[in-house]
Amino acid sequence: MEGMEQWKVQVENWTNQLNQLLGQLLEQVHQVPPAQLYVAIAVLVFTVVVLLSIPLFKRKKSNTIVLTGLSGGGKTVLFYQLRDGSYHQGTVTSMEPNEGTFILRSETTKKGKIKPVHLVDVPGHSRLRPKLEEFLPQAAGLVFVVDALDFLPNCRAVSEYLYDVLTNAYVVKKKIPVLILCNKTEKVTAHTKDFIRKQMEKEIDKLRQSRSVVSAADITNDFTLGVPGAAFTFSQCQNRVTVAEASGLTGDISQVEEFIREHVKP
Amino acid sequence: MLEQLLIFTRGGLILWTCKELGSALRGSPIDTLIRSCLLEERSGLASFNYDAPGAAYTLKWTFHNELGLVFVAVYQRILHLLYVDDLLNMVKREFSEIYDPKRTIYDDFDETFRQLRMEAEARAEELRKSKQVMGKPVSNGKKQGQVNKVGFEGGNKKKSECGVARDGDDAMVKDRKMENGHSNGIHVGIKDPKGNGVVNGKENTVSNNGAFDVNKLQKLRSKGVKKTDTVADKVPKADPKKKNMKKNRVWDDSPAEAKLDFTHPADQNGDQDMHVVAAEQGQSMMDEEENVSSESEVEEDEEVERGSKADAKKGWFSSIFQSIAGKANLERADLEPALKALKDRLMTKNVAEQIAEKLCESVAASLEGKKLASFTRVSSTVQAAMEEALVRILTPRRSIDILRDVHAAKEQNRPYVVVFVGVNGVGKSTNLAKVAYWLLQHKVSVMMAACDTFRSGAVEQLRTHARRLQIPIFEKGYEKDPAVVAKEAIQEATRNGSEVVLVDTAGRMQDNEPLMRALSKLIYLNNPDLVLFVGEALVGNDAVDQLSKFNQRLADLSTSPTTRLIDGILLTKFDTIDDKVGAALSMVYVSGAPVMFVGCGQSYTDLKKLNVKSIVKTLLK
Ligand SMILES: Nc1nc2c(ncn2[C@@H]2O[C@H](COP(=O)(O)OP(=O)(O)OP(=O)(O)O)[C@@H](O)[C@H]2O)c(=O)[nH]1
Ligand SMILES: [Mg+2]
Repeated sequence: MEGMEQWKVQVENWTNQLNQLLGQLLEQVHQVPPAQLYVAIAVLVFTVVVLLSIPLFKRKKSNTIVLTGLSGGGKTVLFYQLRDGSYHQGTVTSMEPNEGTFILRSETTKKGKIKPVHLVDVPGHSRLRPKLEEFLPQAAGLVFVVDALDFLPNCRAVSEYLYDVLTNAYVVKKKIPVLILCNKTEKVTAHTKDFIRKQMEKEIDKLRQSRSVVSAADITNDFTLGVPGAAFTFSQCQNRVTVAEASGLTGDISQVEEFIREHVKP
Repeated sequence: MLEQLLIFTRGGLILWTCKELGSALRGSPIDTLIRSCLLEERSGLASFNYDAPGAAYTLKWTFHNELGLVFVAVYQRILHLLYVDDLLNMVKREFSEIYDPKRTIYDDFDETFRQLRMEAEARAEELRKSKQVMGKPVSNGKKQGQVNKVGFEGGNKKKSECGVARDGDDAMVKDRKMENGHSNGIHVGIKDPKGNGVVNGKENTVSNNGAFDVNKLQKLRSKGVKKTDTVADKVPKADPKKKNMKKNRVWDDSPAEAKLDFTHPADQNGDQDMHVVAAEQGQSMMDEEENVSSESEVEEDEEVERGSKADAKKGWFSSIFQSIAGKANLERADLEPALKALKDRLMTKNVAEQIAEKLCESVAASLEGKKLASFTRVSSTVQAAMEEALVRILTPRRSIDILRDVHAAKEQNRPYVVVFVGVNGVGKSTNLAKVAYWLLQHKVSVMMAACDTFRSGAVEQLRTHARRLQIPIFEKGYEKDPAVVAKEAIQEATRNGSEVVLVDTAGRMQDNEPLMRALSKLIYLNNPDLVLFVGEALVGNDAVDQLSKFNQRLADLSTSPTTRLIDGILLTKFDTIDDKVGAALSMVYVSGAPVMFVGCGQSYTDLKKLNVKSIVKTLLK
C-alpha cells in the first residue's frame, strides 16, 4: 500500500509538469502566424489519414480459411497436416479453435515470397457451434469437412449443419465459397464424393421444406436455399459450392490446398 | 497401475502420452470425457467414470489455463490410486516449464515423467504406511484446492483389500475432508449406451451420454455435501425451497387458466358455445422470429458499477494500475468474489443452487491460472467466461427440428409419436394442445391419445381440446392400462394415416413408484420418437429433483437394453416468471436435453422457441 502512495505522489508531480509544458506550448503557438499553423495541421492530418488507411487497403483481401464440420471429421488432423505435414501423435476432441497464420507445408520448398494463410479449425461439437460465427465475417473460404467413412449414420446431422452454414447471413451475403471435403478416403469403405454430394442434396432438399416454415429463432436462417419447385442441388447456391476428397491421415490433401490457394492467392 | 496419462492442447492436439504405459485404451474415454464432461460445464468435478466393454476407467484431469493445456490421467476404477492428483499436478508443473507453443514433440519428457511417477508413488506409499494423521498436504503446491484432493480416492472404500493399512488411510482422508470441506462423492458416471466405446462423431447416438448421472447427483444432494473448496466463506445456504412444489392443483379457482383449461368436467357440456379455432387464432408464436439485439453496450454502465464494487476495497489507483498492467495470473482467491456475486445473481434468477455452484466451479476451473488481459477486470472476465458457458449449455446438442423428424417418420410410413410427461398440474394437456395447433398450422395431421387414465376429468379435458382443434382423439376411458391405450392409438394412427400422435399421460410426482413404473412401461412398449418433459418455469431447486428423478426412474425401470431418457423439455408458464428464467438452465443442465418449446400464455398461439441469447442475457442481468 505504501508503494502505491508513493506512486500517487509521483504521478501528481508528473501531471503538474505536464500542465506547465502544455501552457508553454500554447504560448508559443499563439506567436506563430495562423496561415503557417493551418498548413502544418493540414499536413499532419493528411499523413495520419494515409498511415491509417494503408492497413485498411491491405486487409481488403482476407486470407482466412475456416475449417468446419461435425466433431470427429478430421479437421484438427487436417489443420496440422497443412501446417506441419504431420498430425503428430494424434488428436482428441477439440475444445477451442486452432488458429495459425503460416505458409502451407507443401509450399515451404517453393522460392519467392508467398502470402501466408490464416487457417482456423473450429471445433465441431454442437455446443461449440456458436464459435463459427465469430470467424465467418473474415472468411475468404470455408472448408466443410465430412467424414466419408462414417457418413450414413451422420447424414442428417451433417446436412443440417451444412444447411445452417449455407443459409448463414455472412456466407450468403459475402458469397463465401464452400468446399465440401470428404475426408478419410484412404479407407476402401469410405463413400465416394458423388454419393455424399447426392445424399446431402437430397437431405437439404427435405430440410428446405421443414425449415422454410420454422426457422430457429437463434440461427438466423434469413435465407432460403435453391430454386423453389426444383430439387435442390449445390449449383443453385449463390456462392460456389464444390466437392473434393482428402485423407488427413495419409496426408493426401492436395485438393484442399488447391482450394485454399484459389481463394488466398499466394 | 495408471493406464495412461495424456497431455493435450485445448485445440485437441496430443502433445505427449506415456509410451511406457503403452497399453491402448479401450473405447474412447478421452473423447467421451471431453464431450460429456468438460464441454458440459462439469469440469469442476473431481473425477469422471467411463465404462465400455472390458473397461471401467476413472479419469482425472487438470487444466493449465494460461497455456491452454489439459492433463488427463486414466486408471482402472477398482484400483483406488492415491497419487493421481498429486502426479497430475507435478506433471503440470514440470511440463509447463518446457512447453513451447511452437513445439509439438516432447520425447524428453519421458524421463521426467518416470521420475515424477516414482516420486508420487513413493509418497503415496509413505502416506499409506504412516498411521498418524498428517496435518500438512504432501506437496508444496501453491493452491490448496488442487493439492488437497490427493488421497480422496481412498475415501470410497468398498473393498477393504488392504486391511489394516487401509484404515490409516481412511482416517487420514476423513480428517482431510473435515479440514477442507471437500467431499469425495463428486464424480460423474457414464455408461456407454451402445455398449461399445466407439463414439466418434456419432452425435445423435451418444446424446444420452451427457445426461448427468442422476444417481450421483441425488446422493450428493441428499447428503447435503457440498464441494466448498475455498468458497467456504459464508455462502448463504438457501434452505431447500419447497414452496414451488405444487400440491394437487385446485382446478376451479385458477381464473388465469380459464381460457384453455377444460379440466373441469362441467366443460363437457360447453360444446355449444365452443367454437372451432383451428384457423382462427393466427400464427403460432413458434414461427415468429424474435429479434433480440445482441449489443451488450446497454449493460456497460451497469457493469462498471458492479466491477467497481467488487474491487472497491483495493482502492481506485491500484485497481486501475492493475487493469492497465494486466495482472499476473488469476488465482482462485482473485476469482472468488466475482464468482460469488455471479452465483448469487444466478440464484436470484431462480437457477437451482447446486447448478449455480457447479457452473461457477467449472468457470473457475477454466480461468484459474489464466492471465488477465490488459484493461479488463476480474469481474468482467468471469462474466464473459460464464456467458460463454451458458451459451454452450443452452445450445441444443442435437437438432430440434421436429417437422423434419415428422417427415422422416412419414417416409417410413409410421406416425411420429410424442409422449408428454411431467408432474401434476404443470399444464401437460394444455400445452399438448398448443403443440397440436402448431403442427396443424404446418399441415401435419395430428391425433391425440388420451392416456391419462388416472385422474378423473383428464380424458374429457383432452376431448374438449380435440373438438376445438378438430383433431381426432383416441380414448379408451379410465380403466385401461395407459401403455396399451397408447399402443392401440399408434396402431389406429398408422391405419388412418395420421402423421403425429401426441400422447397425454397422467401427471405424476417423481417419487411415485407405481406411476413411474407405469410410465416406464408405456415408453418401452411404444418406443416413442420423442419423450417430452413438461415442466413449470416457476420451479427453482425442485427442477433438478424432478428431472433427475424422472430420468433416473426411466433408466432404472428400463426393461430393454437401450435406455430411454427424456429427449426434450417443454417449459410452461413462461409468461409468469418475469426475469426468473433459471429453470430453463437448471433443467437443461441436469438432463442434457434441449428446451424444444416454451409455453407462454393462455391461447393456442402462445408457444415459442427458446431464445438462447435472450435467456443468457436475462440470466446475467
Ligand atoms: N481413417 C482416417 N481417420 C482420420 C482421418 N483424419 C482424421 N481421422 C481420425 O478421426 C478422428 C478425429 O479427428 P480430429 O481431427 O480430431 O477431428 P475434428 O474434426 O477435429 O473433431 P473436433 O475437434 O471434435 O471437431 C481421429 O481419431 C483421427 O485419427 C483420415 O483421413 N482417415
Ligand atoms: Mg478438432
